[in-house]
Amino acid sequence: MFKDMTLGQYYPIDSPIHRLDARSKFVGTVIYIVSVFMVNNYIGYLIAIAALLTFIAISRVPIKFMVKGMKSIVVLMIFAGLFNLFLVQGEVVWSWWILSITKEGIDTAIKMVLRLALLIMGSSIMTLTTTPTSLTDGLESLFKPLNVIKIPVHEIAMMMTIALRFIPILTEEMDKIMKAQMARGVDFEAKGLIKKAKSMIPLLVPLFISAFRRANDLAMAMEARCYRGGKGRTKMKPLKYHWNDAVAFLIMCGYLALCIIFGRGVLE
Amino acid sequence: MSKIVEIKKLLFDYIRRDEEGNVEGITTAVDNVSLTISQGDFVAILGHNGSGKSTLAKHLNAILYPTEGTVLVDGKDTSEEDNIWEVRQAASMVFQNPDNQIIGQIVEEDVGFGPENLGVPTPMIWERVEKALKAVNMYQFRSKSPNRLSGGQKQRVSIAGVLAMQPKCIVLDEPTAMLDPSGREEVIEAIRELNKKENITIILITHNMEETIYADKIYVMDEGKIAMEGTPREIFSEVEKLKSLRLNVPQATMLAYELKKAGVPLPDGILTKEELICHLS
Ligand SMILES: Nc1ncnc2c1ncn2[C@@H]1O[C@H](COP(=O)(O)OP(=O)(O)OP(=O)(O)O)[C@@H](O)[C@H]1O
Ligand SMILES: [Mg+2]
Repeated sequence: MFKDMTLGQYYPIDSPIHRLDARSKFVGTVIYIVSVFMVNNYIGYLIAIAALLTFIAISRVPIKFMVKGMKSIVVLMIFAGLFNLFLVQGEVVWSWWILSITKEGIDTAIKMVLRLALLIMGSSIMTLTTTPTSLTDGLESLFKPLNVIKIPVHEIAMMMTIALRFIPILTEEMDKIMKAQMARGVDFEAKGLIKKAKSMIPLLVPLFISAFRRANDLAMAMEARCYRGGKGRTKMKPLKYHWNDAVAFLIMCGYLALCIIFGRGVLE
Repeated sequence: MSKIVEIKKLLFDYIRRDEEGNVEGITTAVDNVSLTISQGDFVAILGHNGSGKSTLAKHLNAILYPTEGTVLVDGKDTSEEDNIWEVRQAASMVFQNPDNQIIGQIVEEDVGFGPENLGVPTPMIWERVEKALKAVNMYQFRSKSPNRLSGGQKQRVSIAGVLAMQPKCIVLDEPTAMLDPSGREEVIEAIRELNKKENITIILITHNMEETIYADKIYVMDEGKIAMEGTPREIFSEVEKLKSLRLNVPQATMLAYELKKAGVPLPDGILTKEELICHLS
């Protein structure tokens, strides 16, 4: 299963969104996130939901992949919902023992849960339609101006690329070490925090040793292939803006304007 | 023929230091080695563990610099700062573990890594990548993830990766050590092909004797020195000496040697099964 993780969540099909430049998708995602934080009435949320559904339809990624991404934050969503539901003060509509639900509480809870769902689904459109390579390339190019304040943008992007490549390899290795140690009687199922932490030592020590050895080998291999940082480097797959990126940008601006005009202020 | 590698009286010490930086111990890994390799040769380097093969190989790629002596690659002194990138491009290196030398997420991106570093213009990178992948017969896998390939396939991608830098010489440090027999065959086949068709100099470091029988010349290393040198036939004629250097000989050679000792009339230095059968019948 981890063999597929190299490609991240990327869903390999062809669609207008897949064809956009990674930088456009990143900027678009940021605009969308901003819009979700900005809207505060239900019309605004409706606009955001409608936009999201349209984007998903254009991306041709089955909606179940979007929902999958939400699994990890279901607990957070439930908590956020419940807290708001019971703790917001206002006009009481239902109460029992020390618990009471207010009209304002229902309102905030719904908006909070919606907001979280929209944020996760909105950003997963980007990760589902962009390969990790072009995503890191895009981020590198977008953040290049930070070089001025001495942030090593190219190096950070290279680190991300390498991490993505080695996560599946190290996961597989961890699996192997775990089995080998289990065969020698290490109990990974141990109960209790201290016991559990102790049982991790025979796993982590060999894993770290191997990771350092791999890092050493990789550094040597990169050097042998004339890697010398970002300077003077050309790209095999350079990023290029096309007319469709301009269209996407205009659409996102129009969408943001709609959100600002109709999505703010209390509508009674 | 022009000389691609010229090593003169090379000596290299690994110096171990303690925390304060005081010298704790010195290992002389390569000791007074001189050799020359001509462009287009297929050279194999043998030797038991710790005999200094990898250390020698790393000098050809300017990963290590001589403590004493000189190393010239394509006429350029590797210890000169200005030559380092030209040296690395002229003599590329393939390492043992394919997982630790593949950088790209996708096969073609990995093969493009070297040319990208050299600053080759984009359309030419694509040409080089295509040519390199075709040369090792991996073109149909160009858009696969390296994690999905077999060991032999991964190692062929690594070879394509250095090939795309258009080197004159490829140094391979035990490229088949982690592969199964069929993976080994794939890789050796690919290397021989490059040597014959593209006239690329091959320096193959290996523990597997069967892989060296195609070489033009074999060097045997022992304790940092060159203990034997010659054609495969010359080297494998001296079974006793090889044994004393803790090395095996190819199976067919061993069998012929034992048969000869038992009184069967056979020439020295038989290398392959076919040859042996031919002489016996
Ligand atoms: N980084 C290092 N630091 C210190 N000593 C080293 C280092 N690398 C190798 N050596 C020592 O140098 C000697 C030669 O090692 P080298 O790796 O070149 O041998 P090798 O012939 O490649 O062996 P193998 O067949 O095991 O790969 C050995 O005695 C080894 O212990
Ligand atoms: Mg070695």
